[in-house]
Amino acid sequence: MGNKQTIFTDEQLDAYQDCTFFTRKEILRLHGRYYEMAPNVVPMDYTKDPDVKLPMQLIINMPELKENPFKERIVSSFSEDGEGSLSFNDFVDMFSVLSEMAPRELKAIYAFKIYDFNTDNFICKADLEKTLNKLTREELTAEEITLVCEKVIEEADMDGDGKLGFADFENMISKAPDFLSTFHIRI
Amino acid sequence: MLLYQFQVVYKIYCILIPKFCFLCGFDAEEDLVGSLASMSSNEMIKSFRRFGNALSEFFQQLRPWHKSLKIIGAEFGTSVLSYFVFLKWLLNFNIFSFLINFGFITIPQFLAAEPNNLSFTGLELLTGAGYFQQTVLYYGFYTNATISKVENGPSYNMQLAYIFTVGIYFVICFLILLFSMARFFSSNFRLTKAFSVNASKLLCTWDFNITNEEAVKLQQKNLLTQIKVQTTGGTQLMCASHSVGDLVVHTNLCSGLFHYRQSAMLVLPVIVSLLNTLVPFLFSWLGHLEKFQSPGQHIYVTIVRNIILKISIVGILCYYWLNIVATSESQCWETLVGQDIYRLVLVDFIFCLLGSFFGEFLRRIIGTTVCVSLGLPEFDIGRNVLDLIYAQTLTWIGILFSPLLPGIQMIAFLIVFFVKKVSLMRNCQPPREVWRTAQMTTSFIFLLFCPSFLGVLSLFFHTLRLKPSEECGPFRGLPSMYAAVDEWIQMLERYTVSKWVVWIYHNLIASELFFFIISTAVLILTYLYWQIIQARKTMIKLLHNQIINAGQDKKFLLQKLQREQRAKRRSSSALGGRGQQVSLTAHLLLFNCLGQVHGAPPAVQTACCFGKRLSLRFNLNSCYLTPDSKRMQCESSLIICSRLEFSLDIEKPLPSPDIIYGYETSRKHS
Repeated sequence: MGNKQTIFTDEQLDAYQDCTFFTRKEILRLHGRYYEMAPNVVPMDYTKDPDVKLPMQLIINMPELKENPFKERIVSSFSEDGEGSLSFNDFVDMFSVLSEMAPRELKAIYAFKIYDFNTDNFICKADLEKTLNKLTREELTAEEITLVCEKVIEEADMDGDGKLGFADFENMISKAPDFLSTFHIRI
Repeated sequence: MLLYQFQVVYKIYCILIPKFCFLCGFDAEEDLVGSLASMSSNEMIKSFRRFGNALSEFFQQLRPWHKSLKIIGAEFGTSVLSYFVFLKWLLNFNIFSFLINFGFITIPQFLAAEPNNLSFTGLELLTGAGYFQQTVLYYGFYTNATISKVENGPSYNMQLAYIFTVGIYFVICFLILLFSMARFFSSNFRLTKAFSVNASKLLCTWDFNITNEEAVKLQQKNLLTQIKVQTTGGTQLMCASHSVGDLVVHTNLCSGLFHYRQSAMLVLPVIVSLLNTLVPFLFSWLGHLEKFQSPGQHIYVTIVRNIILKISIVGILCYYWLNIVATSESQCWETLVGQDIYRLVLVDFIFCLLGSFFGEFLRRIIGTTVCVSLGLPEFDIGRNVLDLIYAQTLTWIGILFSPLLPGIQMIAFLIVFFVKKVSLMRNCQPPREVWRTAQMTTSFIFLLFCPSFLGVLSLFFHTLRLKPSEECGPFRGLPSMYAAVDEWIQMLERYTVSKWVVWIYHNLIASELFFFIISTAVLILTYLYWQIIQARKTMIKLLHNQIINAGQDKKFLLQKLQREQRAKRRSSSALGGRGQQVSLTAHLLLFNCLGQVHGAPPAVQTACCFGKRLSLRFNLNSCYLTPDSKRMQCESSLIICSRLEFSLDIEKPLPSPDIIYGYETSRKHS
């Protein structure tokens, strides 16, 4: 308790508290989780801002993410170098957006990135098909998949370009009140 | 009289604040004081922010059961988790009520207590009578004197303390419930009706909370089944008429209850709890018999029936207590009512535990050994939440007659949380049907507010006007409980210092004209807001249509552009020799899917003539559309040296993938 920790400087902790939805204790706990994934690589002393990234393989084996069908997409959406490796800042960012205090708009932005498999800033039919396959363990027939994806685009696409832009996605999210509570990972 | 209270509160405040600072790790006050003296404003702001952060950390540390909730959410999903979160939230009301009742009513009573002559046998815990009758548990024990420890010192008026503590608690509960309900309502209900079923099922309903492998597989299987049912077009028959059957059941129950009121002490609570436990099973069995349009409808109908059942039961009990027990000539009717409520709460708690035992534990054993087709039981969220609401309603009704009842209910809720969690983890499987968590949580909070709390409030006001019993309680001898406040106001009138309190009382609280004015103002405001909502709905429809039109315009323009390009490539006519001047006007149509682009017309950057080819380059980097016009034209007249073959190069601004442009050309020969 108090200012006895030596992992971060006070300014770093204040900065983390301002930029994320976590308190000091939670940030230190997150650092503990990050450290125990790779104790040889992650330093205990973050005061000098070390440039350490953990690869995707380690992160998607966390118990909170292990069974999630979208785990690779989640990790790559938050990774700055695009290859899926997360630095500690990215790690904290990820759980901050997925925490229960993040507002709906912020969650919508990242949900859009997660479902956009080919990262073209649109959720096109191929993205929807991949999402559906992940959600149903690929047990639907091809006609059913196409039927569902067509219905989805018909319902949600407002400007008629055959794919969902961010505005369409956000509009759909605003009508689904459960989104805030389901798009949430507790750590 | 209130001075004593203020002194107590002030002392508590002085003791707690240093402890609070110590607990939240905020380093000693001396640091703060010293550094405040020599600080720039920037650092002041930083230190305030740090204090705010420390405060939020302190409250987060108090967050109990974080790990339990995480495990429950991970294995069973958000829907079952919402029951436990609701239970935790209700617990706060009871803790708050217990603390203020204990602090302001019970502790002073200890100072002026009369000795208890009755003997204690174990049966009192169940019946609440006997030894407990002469304890602080019930209204009858409280004195009506003004307590003062020191001669001529500050005195403590028990009557006012009693009425104000309970009254202010209800006011605070009212505000908390109102604001929670408003907050949930605004975030969970939307103005437009269009609910895109497929899209939201695909993209918004996957529960990221679940981390258990089996639960994830089950959720995937559920989604698969739902999609298959939808694509094969499953239909369900219309529901039969249930209203007649409901009425018959309810009238029978009500008349039955009336007959039992005269029997022995524990029979009434047992019968009430039996009704509460068994009749919902009857309702869900009825629900299985009837065919519904969707599983959601089945859940709604069952919940509505349970609500009506509980409201009828509580209504009859209250009628009995307030009209029959209160006007009977018994010695201390408030204590009798308090005892009744104590027994009801206790037996309800025991039945809740038993229900969990039979409903889940035995059902699991039956489902896995004897009759394997039944499978594991599911946690019935609706019935359990309604049980919680019923228990909380009973507690609220009982606060006036038994001030420490919230403490008992608090302990009961703690045990229920633990038992339900253990039973859930051991016996149940994750839910199979869709449960719209956000809407159901909002409905439950609304239920807690509207029939439950408002009913209790009207009961409270009605009780205030009843004649209290002559021999016991803080209001003995007065014509009504409310008369204590009247007397206090009359006493205040004598002092000039407190004349403003009297004025407020006479003109604002006790005057009908004031309430009439306030009601009229609230109604007018409500009507205004209603009209604003209607206007916004129309606006939303218009904007929606605008977006659709914009998309269609874009498609049209794209097709036109492609046609023009093909036509131009095919035709290539020569105009004439040198010296012929042709002026070319290119209309550039700029378009964006939402019509949000704004700004200035594009300028021609370069125009070069390569002999036979004219190349026009428009610079769109500083180009946007005004909000009103979706199209913008820019003209550029140029003189062409000779041939018509031209190409139009448009430099696209980065990143606007959806600005689309088309062009028309007109040629003028000179």
